[in-house]
Amino acid sequence: MIRFEQVAKRYPNGHVGLHELSFRARRGEFLFVTGHSGAGKSTLLRLLLAMERPTSGKLLLAGQDLGQISNAQIPFLRRQIGVVFQNHQLLFDRTVFNNIALPLQILGLSKAEITKRVDSALERVSLADKGELFPADLSTGQQQRVGIARAIVHQPALLLADEPTGNLDPRLAAEIMGVFEDINRLGTTVLIASHDLALIARMRHRMLTLQRGRLIGDGEAGQ
Amino acid sequence: MSTTRTPKVSERVAPKPADPQPGKKKRDDDDGPDFRTLLHAWLESHRASMADSLRRLGKQPIGSFFTCLVMAVALSMPMGLSLLLKNVEKLGGSWQRAAQISLYLKLDAGSKEGEALRDEIKRMPGVADALYVSRDQALEEFQQQSGLGEALRELPENPLPGVVVVTPSEVDKPALEALRQRLSELPKVEVAQLDLVWVERLAAILKLGDRFVFGLAVMLISALLLVIGNTIRLHIENRRTEIEVIKLVGGTDSYVRRPFLYMGALYGLGAGFLAWGILAFGLNWLNQAVVGLSGLYGSDFALGGVPASDGLSLLIGAVLLGYIGAWIAVARHLNELAPR
Repeated sequence: MIRFEQVAKRYPNGHVGLHELSFRARRGEFLFVTGHSGAGKSTLLRLLLAMERPTSGKLLLAGQDLGQISNAQIPFLRRQIGVVFQNHQLLFDRTVFNNIALPLQILGLSKAEITKRVDSALERVSLADKGELFPADLSTGQQQRVGIARAIVHQPALLLADEPTGNLDPRLAAEIMGVFEDINRLGTTVLIASHDLALIARMRHRMLTLQRGRLIGDGEAGQ
Repeated sequence: MSTTRTPKVSERVAPKPADPQPGKKKRDDDDGPDFRTLLHAWLESHRASMADSLRRLGKQPIGSFFTCLVMAVALSMPMGLSLLLKNVEKLGGSWQRAAQISLYLKLDAGSKEGEALRDEIKRMPGVADALYVSRDQALEEFQQQSGLGEALRELPENPLPGVVVVTPSEVDKPALEALRQRLSELPKVEVAQLDLVWVERLAAILKLGDRFVFGLAVMLISALLLVIGNTIRLHIENRRTEIEVIKLVGGTDSYVRRPFLYMGALYGLGAGFLAWGILAFGLNWLNQAVVGLSGLYGSDFALGGVPASDGLSLLIGAVLLGYIGAWIAVARHLNELAPR
């Protein structure tokens, strides 16, 4: 599903985000990327979202070379990816339902299909009765779950999450991780960037450890 | 839990480079969405964009109204001047009738010859009317108008010739000159005089007016594009987060651009209606004074209103200008809207 081959990323200001990173992730795999601030986690996610292009090396996502992808193809690539942000990136002038419906509206699905899928996504994140509320009416944990619902509503092949539990208390963080595991069980590849080692250790999934843009560890968390 | 079918992982691969915009979950035979689905998706997207733009404009009614008003004023000024010029041209029709040819007859031409000549001229092509003024009538008029009545009576004989005043049916300068030439060759005609000064002055004034309106229109349309561009830029700034999210979840540039283009077109539509109203009201208001003035000169001249065809052109033009202004603004800022 994901293949990094000697991928390096150097920014125009000279900062090196990644140093010749190589790893592979299978379809349906659940993996964490961890490391301190500046380790390269965000760069890795930005490369997978085609927000940045590799300076060198080869990055393949479902067989597609992200170094060669044209700008016009990027939106269609992103439709196969769900993304969850630490700060949720919800639209506060839209209802929860309409926030979640956004990827489906972009796909141009019928209203009936959108309603069906959004209701299903809301149910999956235990917010079935919150669709008509606005994000400001929800707690931080609930907002994060809305973000997750939006990321999974179009049934992406890959789910990316950047510090999804960064602002949550441990109980909520565990709950959110449980949602990610549910999604992964349905066949979606899940890649989570997090520095919450305690939480990662409890999950017992594959963990990539980055330090200053280099891969220094690749193994099961908690071992 | 979920009632929707979760496709197998093998079904959910990234699209091939040539994939069209997916409108529906791919079928197992991987044919991609059919034309009907794509068309429905496209129409639905346009409907949603337009509804969203209308809703946003409606949420700020005063701000939207003033933006439309500024655009309407910019549109109505050249259009109003153009309509006034058309009216002046209409008024000028009567001035053009002043382009008459005066045929001064030889002194030995009598009244009967003059009247016969008038009748002959009336039958000539290019002649709308002809009027014969006899030598006696000419002297009488001159005595009355010059104030030299007593002195003229002392003259041994009438020095004034008979005159045939010809009104041409065409006011085109070469045609008038050709007619004058033909008339000058008629028997008993001493001199054929064509006075084109007024015609030429009017043509020059109208030409100047046309150029002024064109220049003003160019300047005001540029200003209008800037107004709409700046307004749309502010809308873009206010929706930056939304645009970034849309791009991150797979929205294409055209999807991002669409609501702003509708917004520009809607601003233009509002401005077009307002400009039409301003012009109709302004011409009506001005007409009251014009009718009063023309009445003093014994004329029934009145300003015409805004013709429906001109009003519709104004509306279409305003919508197009709004659309183009928005397009320029979005095209200029779209690159800055890359997700962060």
